[in-house]
Amino acid sequence: MVAITDSGSDEGVTAAPRSMRRSPYPGWFFLPAAIIYGVLFLVPTFASLYFSLTRWTLFNSTFIGLDNFAQFLREPFLIKGLVNTVFYAAITSGLKVVLGLLLAVLLTSQIAARGYLRSVVFFPVLVSTVGVGITFTVLMHPTNGMINEGLALLGVKGPGWLTNPNLALFSVALVDVWKGVGLATVIYIAGIVAIPKDYYEAARIDGATRFQNFLYVTLPLCRPATVTVVTLSFIGGLRTFDLIWAMTRGGPGFASDTVASVIYKQYQAGFYGLSTAGNVVLFILIAVLVVPLTMLLNRKEGHE
Amino acid sequence: MAGLELKSLRKSYGEVEVINGVDLSVTHGEFVVFVGPSGCGKSTLLRMIAGLEDISGGELWIADKLCNAVEPRDRGIAMVFQNYALYPHMTVYDNVGFGLKLAGTPKDVRDAKIRDAARILQMEHLLERKPSQLSGGQRQRVAIGRAIVRKPEVFLFDEPLSNLDAALRVDMRMELAKLHHDLGATMIYVTHDQIEAMTLADKIVVLNGGVVQQVGAPIELYQRPANLFVAGFIGSPRMNFATVTIQSLAAASLTVSSEDFEATVVPADIAGLKVGDTVTLGVRPHALATATSGALVGQVVLVERLGNETNVSLRLRSGASWLAVLDGDHQLRIGQDVPLRFEPELAAIFDGDGRARYLA
Amino acid sequence: MSFIRRHWLSAVAILASGVVFLVPFAFIVLTAFKDQKQSALLDFSWPAGNYLWSNIVEVVTTRNWMLLTAFINSSILTVASVTLLVIFAAMVGFVLQRRKTRFSGLIEFLILAGLMIPPAVVPTIWLLQGVGLFGKLHGLVLIEVAYGLPFSILLYRAFISTIPRELDEAAIIDGARPFDVFFRIILPLLWPVTVTNIVVQSVAIFNDFTNPLYYLPGNANATVQLTLYNFQSQFQTSYNLLFTNIALITIPPLLVFLFFNRQIVAGMTAGAVKG
Repeated sequence: MVAITDSGSDEGVTAAPRSMRRSPYPGWFFLPAAIIYGVLFLVPTFASLYFSLTRWTLFNSTFIGLDNFAQFLREPFLIKGLVNTVFYAAITSGLKVVLGLLLAVLLTSQIAARGYLRSVVFFPVLVSTVGVGITFTVLMHPTNGMINEGLALLGVKGPGWLTNPNLALFSVALVDVWKGVGLATVIYIAGIVAIPKDYYEAARIDGATRFQNFLYVTLPLCRPATVTVVTLSFIGGLRTFDLIWAMTRGGPGFASDTVASVIYKQYQAGFYGLSTAGNVVLFILIAVLVVPLTMLLNRKEGHE
Repeated sequence: MAGLELKSLRKSYGEVEVINGVDLSVTHGEFVVFVGPSGCGKSTLLRMIAGLEDISGGELWIADKLCNAVEPRDRGIAMVFQNYALYPHMTVYDNVGFGLKLAGTPKDVRDAKIRDAARILQMEHLLERKPSQLSGGQRQRVAIGRAIVRKPEVFLFDEPLSNLDAALRVDMRMELAKLHHDLGATMIYVTHDQIEAMTLADKIVVLNGGVVQQVGAPIELYQRPANLFVAGFIGSPRMNFATVTIQSLAAASLTVSSEDFEATVVPADIAGLKVGDTVTLGVRPHALATATSGALVGQVVLVERLGNETNVSLRLRSGASWLAVLDGDHQLRIGQDVPLRFEPELAAIFDGDGRARYLA
Repeated sequence: MSFIRRHWLSAVAILASGVVFLVPFAFIVLTAFKDQKQSALLDFSWPAGNYLWSNIVEVVTTRNWMLLTAFINSSILTVASVTLLVIFAAMVGFVLQRRKTRFSGLIEFLILAGLMIPPAVVPTIWLLQGVGLFGKLHGLVLIEVAYGLPFSILLYRAFISTIPRELDEAAIIDGARPFDVFFRIILPLLWPVTVTNIVVQSVAIFNDFTNPLYYLPGNANATVQLTLYNFQSQFQTSYNLLFTNIALITIPPLLVFLFFNRQIVAGMTAGAVKG
């Protein structure tokens, strides 16, 4: 327990009574949160580093070195999961940035029914992911689904959104964007609203067109929003599980498996060591991709 | 009965000394003002007395009790903050009564004390309002009320008027003076505004770089500043300074001159000085007057005619800038040479260490 | 000209948003009104009759009133987790913002790590079993608190930095002990951000599927999201019932959305401006 405020090193030349007042900001305020977070998050995280190197039944574990990780890089369906995860994260965050920014620009302009539009775009964010997944599974039904029936009316033969192995993951990603673009939009709206009007006025006096306004004022000045959207949706994309599980269970075959769904499948199958290795792989994936990504985004900001 | 006693009080953050051995004795009922430029340590010193900053060395005595390790609530102090620091979610009534409530004062006693403080500060009609519904001056009153109900040994004020506009500041200044008179309590007041310091204080403490420069009554600091820093800091407009050379010495005076000055005799303590030494001559702008011929001549650079007095910026021969405040109205042309004189008794000599050389 | 263009753009936007965002919800509601035969067609059509009530009754009573149990479980889970989150996160945010020590950097690193690192599932189950919390509702409460803390702490810390420190000091001089400073001065002032916290975390925890799936197995203590998952196989052909269930569990977020839209947006966009 810390009871003394930090006043730096004290040479204590004069033999005065050292102040023993209690800090008004007591260290024990950390305690409840630290215990819960430490026991239920940090301990398992560190334990995973060990258990990922074992064959594990929850009751006993045999150390097998890097075998689990080797398996991850050997088994085609596990590699598929790895590639799928990165693809999914990239496509969802990319689409959310582009669509979110466009929607935000639209919804901060002088458009009619702005409040209604903002609400409609944002509401899916709050709805159960599993519910959305089930709904779209039905809407994307290859023959009876509403989407393909709608396309048929236009004379287009819709694909098997979730039954075509080449398309399944992409279809799930689209649903992810449908559900998540509202969040990207409100983040961008907050970023755009925070840009002082002076910049637009100065640009207008300089003769900027609307498009130039967007390109030279809005885009650079809402960079913090972009950083937030990219990091949030990229991390979310890498960790995604519930939507994929509700829509395809990783199928058809292993076509839409991600690392998170592999972790669950291996857990169900009782391969606890392998499942935990999946966790570590996901952790490394996030560290390797997200840390440089945020550094890149933040460094560019410093250049301006 | 001692109100407050600081004995070589020190404060350091690691290697950096912010308060460097301050000694000060305040008697009960005194109004003491800490003044100095920003960063001089005056606020830190006040916060050390309050118990908001730890004391690195030395002793702090409040009402004959050693308070270094005493919690703020047990020091018998109350404090008024620069930004008032009123609790936004409480009414004025609850703001003023919060300390009493924490101390477990019975409800009826508390109520009486709150209403008493409100009456003294003429804010009975504000008691049910929230701070956001008050003007700056009203908030200030509430902050003072919160201090009054605690019946503290020592009141501490941290630049309490600096957020008010100029007119209100003058009113509140007068009210504070009246409050001090009525309550008869010890008050310590931090400000960077020397007018506040001069008008409110029984005793001014001038601080610079964490060191006390001079302690004394306001008029004493004005008339006999102890060193160059105090001379330059107290008094507005600022004192004029010139570097001069000693021509000759007498028992209780010396004769100085420079490029700008003809030989001038100034009374001073000459101990340790010798002919040829360089010293600083200080003359307040108000001490200068026009003359047919005088100790110095300046070329007029700028004239500000205020009616009752005239501010004249001058350039001396050496290029130094001086300011003269002349009584009454003077019609002066820019570029014109003006001869000036001053009473030698009103000038001050500062030696090479910057210490003033007054006769005892 | 620009007047016409503006209205043209508005019309397109309203129409497109309707097709993209409202039709799926309309589909859910319409299907919830249909009987089994019509719902099996999966088409976007007007219900042939009003079967909503019988659908609701059937969904709720299925598997021995499982949905009702699930609603109770989810409510307990949400209320308990959010209560603990709010108090513990505010305490950490307060001290973390106010007092810089050599541990501050480490603590902030751990918070950011918590936002990024996916929880290690099986080791967590192993640990929960070790302390006897696996498959228990209060175990899941603590899990949700642990996973929600980083976000809530960051929200609180950002807000506390706007509360002047002089307020704490005034309270200290008034005789407040650290406990009083926090609970009587700071916590009441945090109310706006507490509302945001409550709303954002409630929605997240109520909608959580993954953590109950892993840490709360068994039908006896299913949460609402798990009922959906369980019914998905059971109601393979009864789309009317499946969508009635979806409609029912969408009601709580809808209410939150209607009453707290502003706070939720504020919470989710915090940091977008500062970065």
